[in-house]
Amino acid sequence: MFAPPVNRLITELARLPGIGQRTAQRLAFHILRLPPEEALPLAEAIKEVKETVRQCEVCFNLAVEPTCRVCQDERRDAALICVVEEPSDIIPIERTNEFSGRYHVLGGALSPIDGVDPEDLHIEELAKRVEAGGITEVVVATNATTTGEATALYIADLMRERAPDTEVTRLASGLPVGADLEYADEITLGKALSGRRRL
Amino acid sequence: MLVKRLTLRDFRNYESAELTLGEGLTLLHGPNGAGKTNLLEALYFGATGRSCRTSNEREMLRFGAAAARSVIEVEGEDGAHRIEVGFEPGEPKLMKIDGARVERLSGATARPLVSVFLPDRLELVKGPPGSRRAHLDQFVAALRPARAENRTEYGRALAQRNALLARVRAGRSGPSALDAWDHELARLGIVLMEDRTHSVELLTPPFGRLAAELGLPGEATLTYRPRSKAADAAGLESELHEARESDLQRGFSGHGPHRDELVLAHEGRPLRAYGSQGQQRLALLALLFAERDVLLAERGRAPLMLLDDVVSELDAARRERLVELIQSEGQAVITTTDAEAIPGVEDAVTAAVTAGEVRQELAPA
Repeated sequence: MFAPPVNRLITELARLPGIGQRTAQRLAFHILRLPPEEALPLAEAIKEVKETVRQCEVCFNLAVEPTCRVCQDERRDAALICVVEEPSDIIPIERTNEFSGRYHVLGGALSPIDGVDPEDLHIEELAKRVEAGGITEVVVATNATTTGEATALYIADLMRERAPDTEVTRLASGLPVGADLEYADEITLGKALSGRRRL
Repeated sequence: MLVKRLTLRDFRNYESAELTLGEGLTLLHGPNGAGKTNLLEALYFGATGRSCRTSNEREMLRFGAAAARSVIEVEGEDGAHRIEVGFEPGEPKLMKIDGARVERLSGATARPLVSVFLPDRLELVKGPPGSRRAHLDQFVAALRPARAENRTEYGRALAQRNALLARVRAGRSGPSALDAWDHELARLGIVLMEDRTHSVELLTPPFGRLAAELGLPGEATLTYRPRSKAADAAGLESELHEARESDLQRGFSGHGPHRDELVLAHEGRPLRAYGSQGQQRLALLALLFAERDVLLAERGRAPLMLLDDVVSELDAARRERLVELIQSEGQAVITTTDAEAIPGVEDAVTAAVTAGEVRQELAPA
């Protein structure tokens, strides 16, 4: 319908998650209207991120250097590892300012339906990291979904086998802060009850 | 909660129509093919976002129209609500509560509970166990809305375990992750079994009583038989573990609550195999009314009962008892080709249905 380069831009934009054909067209025409000095930085940013950002050699977080900034930070507790599914999961945990340990990014969760086996995740690397010693606790912070739960269980079993002295914990799930009991749904409340702690 | 009005547009044989419901019984009468059942379906569609008749939603679209729409107006303890469901081929379904778009209607407190009887729903009594399981699970979800998610999660975990079994069998995956999926399946499965057991315990006494009331002589029983003998998640997990060898040979999970049976029996014999058409019909009605009673007792809410052609095969005495039952609690809409066939409906709201038109006869007081 349009000149081939325009079609190509629309096709590429439509491949992004959450962008349909119509939105892709709107974005493409927006980009066409922009002066070059405003449009090209986007292309350069994409190019730069793809050329310079890689995975941390230790924890598989995003990194520009061989290791990520968390792994480079000597003040962080090296005996504590928090396991997450994706690099983006680190952001909310970092925002809490409550976690002073290091991370380990799995790169997803077990999902046989999608053909994701333990070997497809960075689980073996986690086991090796823990076996190398000096780790006292692994906090499993995978999502509270079926695939996240199964992944957590798999890791817990593996740790018991390979590093029995390391404690494995799971993030508690329960009531949001400031929430009234009255408004909590049964599932959240049920989980909060079964995960209750002594005062 | 009362359903006050139904408005539809381009739905089946209706271009546009409106129906005002009574607080008790609403009677729709008209010749075959006029569109009485379509009104029941539109009520169901507006309350649940799904069809009770077809999995092919295009069938609900009036021939030549672009989009079908059903709007129901309800009056709850917390005031009036307007629920709108629209269907346009190729577009995500449009569901709105009071003008605000929602992802789904299940779980929304503004929506009415509905219970439906269609002649082809006898399949529920005489068909394979899967339809009875699905029906029971829907009842669990109506009784305890927060638990509906558990059934969905169980289905997901089961699909994952089955996929893994098939992959291991084909030599594409190692078996190391099976323990984790057994654990997850057991955790969700035991809750599912408990919920079903609890629901059937509540349903059993009214089911027996109502079957007798509707004229099914002798004892009618409802039994939920879990395959698993496990008392807790650990027990179910070890059963799954034991079944693993045979599961791996078959490539799917042969053990667990997804294989359980809900047995409707009469005089100790399963109605599925031994019941006559009439007995199966009465048993299904007894089950639906038992559900109404339990929902009313446990949640203080009776479902809107949509009963299609429910009296046609019943004798005069049973008709009378059925109409008494319908009128004893809550709201109901029934269809019939012959208004005279429904005894004692002087105080019901009636509407005549002819070829895609609804003519309200007695407006509610």
